[in-house]
This record gives sequence, structure tokens and C-alpha cells, in this order.
Amino acid sequence: MTMMRLGLRNLFRNKSRLVIVALLIGIPFFLLLVMQVIGDSVQRQTELLKQNVNNTLQLRARGSMGHVNMMGNEDLLPQDALEQVRQVEHVARVEPYVLAMTPTEGHNFAMVVGVNPGDTKRLESHGEAGNPKIIAGRDLTEADRGKRVAIIGQGYAKWAGITPENLEQATLTLDLKRTHPVIFALNRPPAPVKVVGIYASGYVFGDMQLFMSLDTFREIYGIPAGISWLYVKADSSEHLPQIEQKLRDLLGNVADIIAPTNVAEFQNTATTAVLRLSKGGIVLSAALMIITVFFVMLLVVRERAWEIGTFKALGASNSGIVLGFLTEAVALSALGALLGTLVFSVWGGPVVQRAFGVGVAPFLPAEYKDTLINALTLSSDIGPPTLGLLALVCILAAFAGSAWSIRQVVRLSPMEAIRHE
Amino acid sequence: MNNPMLANDRNALILLQDVSKTYRKGQESVRALDGIDLAVAEKGMVAIAGPSGSGKSSLLHIIGAMDRPTNGEVIVAGQPLNALPEAGLTSFRRETVGFVFQSFNLIPNLSALENVMLPMEFNGVPSEQRHRRAKELLDRVDLGARLTHRPRELSGGEMQRVAIARALANNPRLVLADEPTGNLDSKTGQMIYELLKEIARERTVIVVTHAEALAQMADRILHIRDGKLEADSQPLEANSTFIGEPRRVDHV
Repeated sequence: MTMMRLGLRNLFRNKSRLVIVALLIGIPFFLLLVMQVIGDSVQRQTELLKQNVNNTLQLRARGSMGHVNMMGNEDLLPQDALEQVRQVEHVARVEPYVLAMTPTEGHNFAMVVGVNPGDTKRLESHGEAGNPKIIAGRDLTEADRGKRVAIIGQGYAKWAGITPENLEQATLTLDLKRTHPVIFALNRPPAPVKVVGIYASGYVFGDMQLFMSLDTFREIYGIPAGISWLYVKADSSEHLPQIEQKLRDLLGNVADIIAPTNVAEFQNTATTAVLRLSKGGIVLSAALMIITVFFVMLLVVRERAWEIGTFKALGASNSGIVLGFLTEAVALSALGALLGTLVFSVWGGPVVQRAFGVGVAPFLPAEYKDTLINALTLSSDIGPPTLGLLALVCILAAFAGSAWSIRQVVRLSPMEAIRHE
Repeated sequence: MNNPMLANDRNALILLQDVSKTYRKGQESVRALDGIDLAVAEKGMVAIAGPSGSGKSSLLHIIGAMDRPTNGEVIVAGQPLNALPEAGLTSFRRETVGFVFQSFNLIPNLSALENVMLPMEFNGVPSEQRHRRAKELLDRVDLGARLTHRPRELSGGEMQRVAIARALANNPRLVLADEPTGNLDSKTGQMIYELLKEIARERTVIVVTHAEALAQMADRILHIRDGKLEADSQPLEANSTFIGEPRRVDHV
């Protein structure tokens, strides 16, 4: 305790030097904070992207579109594929679809889709666009399982004469015997379905669909088992390649697997580049701090060699003297950190924005640069993880920077007390 | 222990047998001490005198466990110093020896009181006790009014008195003073010598000096030349003076 107290008091022996050293340590700390905030923001953005952008794989029966009445494309995935996929690690959600086509007029047709209520309602040809907006009536609910109710796209509704005004009484009868150049007839009775909601998707063909519960679809079309499309959502886009590989191993002989690549590409380019830069900046800042502490402590030991000798002559243990110097080094780093943090809390925000724009953005691929800069929320708030990092770097810089000086301290003889004379 | 002189002095505080010290300076070897045999009794003041570079300070450092001999055996206060590891030497210095340096070696950012308390802190003396003893010691060297003064606020003589009080902090059996008056004027130097002589009534004080006149104030004078103990004598007069009449320092 004595030596720790002395170490702290030694800090204030030369006040002007203390200010200069605190500045020298504070500047790299400030840079570290800037880099940390950039790294954190990009990491946060990436995590958000990883969970929310298209991280969904699609499975279809091999060589088939999987529509139950489309000529040459009526093959379905085996029903047990569902359970197999659910068992795969990092699979967050599995959504089975069963699809049929139904003629409208001329060569046109609409799509009938069986889904589990609550699952994403994806649009034919626009699988990435999900959950179209209900503009009249209501969406499907759990209570609709097995019931002859459906929601209809606004284009299909218009063709069927269904409007928001007459929705209360709206019924659409599916005639499964009607054919089309690519649709074959199914020997099933006509199926009247009550339409409970109208949706708008923003896509012309997306609005030509009818969603009903999976059980209702199976009952109407007489398809007790099998899956047209199986959407597999990963818990994070970083696990997509792993899941894809596993699915190929499990179902590669019966299924075509369509995996998105844009997220992985984004991760491998923009995010990785920014994170590498910010980590590099953090390491550089820490190195600057270590170098500063190194020279300061070296100077201190040289100046105070006679004092160290005197302590040893008076019976102070090596460990006690080392503790005193370490305390001084840690306190010095902490003071620098405090100064850097104070400056950061005042000017951090604008500097971070500028540092990102000038220092980081030029290293990003052109196609991602603007998107990332616009999407990124850069904040100068210092949260507990950053404080933890600061404390860690503070101690690390003090220990690493004073290691050589400490070695000198231990090797000094009590005779140094005499050399003072 | 083969030396008959040492065999007869088993009760001595300091025993040295055939002690040599060689320093290396580049390719060259410098023999600072050469076969020193010595026994010093408990209590009393011993002066080690000799010209500069004769080896007197080297002898003091070896006795005080600040340095190890190249050859020979050193026993101080019953402890064979050659056998002690570095940590053992540290505790030996802490408990058995008090040092007084030529340049005082007071820690500049500590007050006089804190400087005196320092060895006691190293020795684990409780705070209240060390505070009380440090105050007593500073009172005894007439610095009771200077407790909170920093070294830069004290005169040379005052600093050396603080250093002497510090040397006595852990009540050591042995006080070693290396040219304690080297940085002081003659009047102050005399006062410091008298103080040390007073201290020597209750413990052993060994003083290194190159000034013969100072050495004459000791109870015993060891003359060193070229690393060898040239003479071991009594002072010319029992109460010889340094400069002027000796002043008794009754309060120590």
C-alpha cells in the first residue's frame, strides 16, 4: 500500500510533464475511441443486416417449379424434408408452401398458395418481397387453419369482381378442372373459398395470388403430403454457407437449393474492410500509448535510480517498488484515458463522422460506400463495453509500456543510492 | 571458521574473514578489497579511514548487505550474509542496518516525517506506531518543528539529521554512515559527528571518512589502503575534537 500511495504521489512531482504525458497518452486514446465507435457502428449495422436482409434459402423439388398442376413441374419435395431441415443447426425458421396455378383469362393465370398462417407471404417471382400489405379485411390467422377462407391480391380480386365494399359477401370458387397451356386439370370438385382480405404487394404479378392455410390447400387440391417450396431462414447470414452445405448433403439428390449471395458478398467486402480498418486503428492507438508509457517510465527510472537504490537500501522489497511503478504507470494511462474520453465526449461525434468519411470510406467498395455511410448511426456515446475496453487498454498499455522499466528497477542494486553522491 | 581472530570474537556484531571484492571494468579487474579480516564489537563508533579509492566504501557496502563479496565470509548480527538470498538481504537491511548517505538521499516529495516513517512502513510497523516513533526521532534530532517540511525546505544539516532519524527508525543494531559530513560545512559536520557518536552509545556506528581529523572522534579507527586493512588503532586522544570543542548532544 505504501508503494502504491507513493506511486500515485509521484505522478504529481512534475506537473507540466504530467500534462504533456497525459496529452500524449490522451490523443491515442481519443483515436482508439473514434475507431471503436466506427467499428461498433459497423458491427451493429452488420448484425442487423445479417438477421434482417435476405438470409433465406429456398428449396424446391429437383428440376421442378413445384406447382401441383403445372405441366412437367408438379414434382414436390418429400414431406419428411421439413423435419430434416428443422434439425439443421442455425436454422431459425422453416416455412413450407404448396402452390397451384389457376387460369384467369387468355394465357394469364393466378397463383394459389397454401401457407401456415403467420408465415411470410412471399410473391411468385419476387421471393424476396414478403408480407404484402392488407388493404381491406383481414389477414389469415391460426383460426383459419383448415377453413375455406383466403386472402386475395388486388389484381386477382379485380378479375374476380371482389372489392373492399363487397368483401363481406365475397366468395371465389376455384375450378380445378379448368386448363391452360401449362396447367393440367385435376379431378377435384369446385372449391368455393370465402375471401376475408385483399392485399397489395406493389408487383403486378404479386397481386395475382390467393393465400390460404396449408391444410385448406391440401384438402382442396387433394395433396395430403409434399412441399412445393420450402423457405429456410438462417439465424444469421454468416451461417448461410454452412446451412447450404448441410442441406446439399441431406437433400441434394431430391432438391434444388437456391441461396442468396448478396449478404455474404456484403460481409466479405464492406464490413470486413471497415472492421479491419477500425481494429487496425485500435491496435495502432494502443501501440502509441505503449510507446509513450515506455519512454516516460524509462525516463522516470533513470531519473529516480538513486531513489530506487535508497528504497532498496532501506529495505523495500522488489515487489513493493515494482508495485509503486506499476501504480504510477496505470495512473498515468488512466489520466490519459480520462483526458481522451473527455475530449471525445465533446468533439467525438463530428470527428467520428469525419474520420469515417475521410479515413474509412475510401477503402470501401464503391457500390457499398454510400449505402453504408447513409445507414450507419455513428454516436459518440460511450457504453459499458467501450469503458471496459478503455480500462483494459489502459492496464495493458501501462503493463506493456513499463515492462522494460520494471526489469531495470528489479535489476538495480541498492548501490544506486550511493551513485547519487 | 578457521581464523583464530574470528574464533575469539564470536560475540562480535560484525565478523569478516578473508573478504575480497573485485569489480570488473570492461576487460580490467579492480580489486577493491583484498583479504580483509575484521571483528567489530556491539556498540561504539568505528571509523573507516583512508584515501579516495582505498576501498573503505566497498567495505561499508559489504557490511551493510548492499553488495556481496567476491570471496570470504561476512557475518553480521549472527547472520552469514553470503548464504542469504536477495530477499534475505533485503530484510536484513530493513531490520538490522540503518544507512546515512553523504547526499542524505531523502525522498524529495515526502515530508521529513514521511521520510522517517518510510523504513518502518517497509517493516510493517502499524501506522499510529510509526507516526509516533518518527515524531519522537525527529524531536530528538531537534527537528520537531520541521515535521511537514519537504527536503528542499531544509538546510543540509537538517536534511542529514532527518536522514539520521530515518536510519534509526527500525531501531537497528548497526548504523552505517558513508561520508556523512561530505556535503556539509565544517560546523554542521561536527554537529552531525557528535550526533552519531551519541547514537553509538547504544548501537554500533560505522562511519566512512577520508578525513583523518574526523576519524579521530571514533572509538576505533580502521585504516584502509589499496583494499587492505593497513591499521586498526585507537584515536590519538580519547576525546579528540573535530573542529573546536565537542558539543554534547544530550537529547539523543
